[in-house]
Amino acid sequence: MKRTPSRISQLFFLALFLILFVQTEYRGKDEINAAVNTFFRVNPLVLFSYVLAAKSWTWLLLPALLMTLATLALGRFFCGWICPLGTILDLVTTRIRKTTPIKALKGNTKYWLLLPLLSASLFNLNLSGLLDPIAILLRGLTFLLHPLAGLATREAWVGLYHLIGERRDAVAPAYNLIHDNILPFRDTIYPLALFSTVVLLTIIALERFETRTWCRDLCPLGTLLGWLGRFSPFRRIPAALCGDCGACRELCPTSFDQKNLVQEECILCMDCQRGCPHERISFRPSLALKGAGPLQPERRVLLGGMAAGVLLAVPAKFRSPEQVSRLLRPPGVRSEDEFLKRCVRCGECMKVCLKSALYPAAYQAGIEGFYTPLMIPRLGYCEYNCTLCGQVCPTGAIPLLPVESKRREVVGKAVFDKNHCLPFARKIDCIVCEEHCPIPEKAIRSRAVTVIGIDGIARTVKEPYIVEEICNGCGICENVCPLETKSGIDIFAVKDRTPISREPSSPYG
Amino acid sequence: MDRRTFLKASGAASLLAPVLIREALAAREQSLVAVAEGTDYPAITRKVINSLGGMKKFVKPGDIVVVKPNMGWDKAIEFAANTHPLVVRTVVEECLAAGAKKVKVFDNTCNDSRRCYVNSGIENILKGMKNVECKHIETERFKKVTLNGHFLKEWELYDEALSANVYINVPIAKHHGLSKLTLGLKNIMGIMGGSRGYIHRNIDVALADLNAHFKSHLTIIDATRILTAHGPQGGNIADVKVLNKVIASTDIVAADAYATTLFGLKPADIPVTVAAYKRGLGEMDLGKIKIVKA
Repeated sequence: MKRTPSRISQLFFLALFLILFVQTEYRGKDEINAAVNTFFRVNPLVLFSYVLAAKSWTWLLLPALLMTLATLALGRFFCGWICPLGTILDLVTTRIRKTTPIKALKGNTKYWLLLPLLSASLFNLNLSGLLDPIAILLRGLTFLLHPLAGLATREAWVGLYHLIGERRDAVAPAYNLIHDNILPFRDTIYPLALFSTVVLLTIIALERFETRTWCRDLCPLGTLLGWLGRFSPFRRIPAALCGDCGACRELCPTSFDQKNLVQEECILCMDCQRGCPHERISFRPSLALKGAGPLQPERRVLLGGMAAGVLLAVPAKFRSPEQVSRLLRPPGVRSEDEFLKRCVRCGECMKVCLKSALYPAAYQAGIEGFYTPLMIPRLGYCEYNCTLCGQVCPTGAIPLLPVESKRREVVGKAVFDKNHCLPFARKIDCIVCEEHCPIPEKAIRSRAVTVIGIDGIARTVKEPYIVEEICNGCGICENVCPLETKSGIDIFAVKDRTPISREPSSPYG
Repeated sequence: MDRRTFLKASGAASLLAPVLIREALAAREQSLVAVAEGTDYPAITRKVINSLGGMKKFVKPGDIVVVKPNMGWDKAIEFAANTHPLVVRTVVEECLAAGAKKVKVFDNTCNDSRRCYVNSGIENILKGMKNVECKHIETERFKKVTLNGHFLKEWELYDEALSANVYINVPIAKHHGLSKLTLGLKNIMGIMGGSRGYIHRNIDVALADLNAHFKSHLTIIDATRILTAHGPQGGNIADVKVLNKVIASTDIVAADAYATTLFGLKPADIPVTVAAYKRGLGEMDLGKIKIVKA
């Protein structure tokens, strides 16, 4: 393994990424490590698409602005020194035998990806997270690889119980150590899990063709950073292959397969400097723009890419009303439009959700909502005193609210389905929903009524009803409804998400 | 002793014995409820245990003990939704002092178990205690048990409760929307697996079924503060009444019956208590219960 400064940096940031990833979980404290979303907050692609779409600024993305400035000054160093996906590619690529590069991906392909994303953002369709490398990696880990690791370990642990019963307790400390610190608390199965992983594995499989195929030819973050970096005065000298040597061609992991170094593809790993047999190479500030190559993208690509974004922005907005009625967003999201402009679909909220209530939308929110988080109450509800999703959201699409405010935020409203709900449908007592309703004044209440049972005998049952003004749509009622078939109570999305009026007492009131 | 005297004596004994045994049993069967009041919660908890003869009477050296508090809700201590951590810790300490090999504390929670364990204050207060476990429920440990009850024929119960030598039920006295109050008899739901909401459709009979099958050796009711409305989870400090009381009994029905009076209710008002009494699980007639102020 290489021990160059860039490789050490890469390994450090990969380790940091993984540590922050496993820390994206409730571990006994209301406040989570604020650094867990760092990789998105330093991400210029997130910054550009956010600013273009939301047309506003958030201080959450200050690190991304600093990264943008640093890239303007130094070049595309992020890709060679920090990006965890790039590091993974570098680590596996040595084990993959190469065929020939894919011609079709060369040239303008990357601009055809980046430009429509940015121009669509300008027209309120922020899809950059779909192709953001950090988001791709995080979703692959969150939706399949981490739950899979948890599930496998847990299956083994359960198997051990069936084998040796309570004697298993002897090794419980070891299991708890892994379970409490590395594995997810709950082994959630996510929609799009397979898809997310296939995307990630495909990017790795592209290493079959040449090193860092994804980074050179596709990655919109890399393309953006490269485009910013081409203005950097800090560059490799000499800018071209030397006539008498050409060893750089072999040393360079990205683009030195032509006569001139393409500045926007240089990831500053500096392997050429270290490997130069003649010690001719240096990286330093220089104003010489000679040999920088033609200014890309070409005008037709620029205009075409932007037009494609506009064309994408409109049809992507189609949604089916049936789906929209159940499109429940995380707490604090009051406007669907503003949410879509800001959400980077990174998966952080779904990873951290305490009760595994949030899932990526596959079709429910239309093309524009692909991968955005939605709450499925039957699978998990919004825990009353939890504010974790707002804490980890890198752009504030889910606002960070104090717990007193978050409790009052409306996700939706509960509605009884009297064809299913036991006191109505079968004239027997239940009110599990009332018991679980976390609102201190109870948004679900019940009254004793005398009814004729299905056996024809008069009896008293407690019939539940909803006090809509104080229902925050947390979904615990739908979640705990003891009916095996459809729940007797459903949460429906509402447009008016004005916080519920009454002030619950604190703390944990 | 010659044969004649022996026959006479044994004859008299066989005539008298049933009466004597019945008398002896009746004396033992009079339910004793100990009540202590004070702001020093560990002290009053210890007092009620001692009034019943001390923990040594229930826990033998080497025993595995389950102490089952109510910690089902993500609420802070003062909201009276969970058993007071000091009461729980004192019970655990007494078990250890009596020679328990291991004390296990757990609950099958309603809110997220991690938050319940943390915010009830119970996990934290037991941290670092030797031979004490405060673990989350693991679903594979539920075992299907034949109850042959009137409503519940079988149900999944937690194996750690089933295999323990001693089971100590430590509920908090609370209002409950469906069963009016939740006390010892209802706290047993914490060892139930499966879809517990199912039993709500016939909760009184179901709880009698469960308690008939699974006995609490000792019931210690935390009434240091009680939740008088919007139970079982509350959330409004105005619904909480501070009583500074702890109640203990080996008769779960008697303990519940006495605790009912703290809410200004009669035992007969609580259908769960009535169902358990009718099933012969204990005494609910306050006139027949011996109440000891500890």
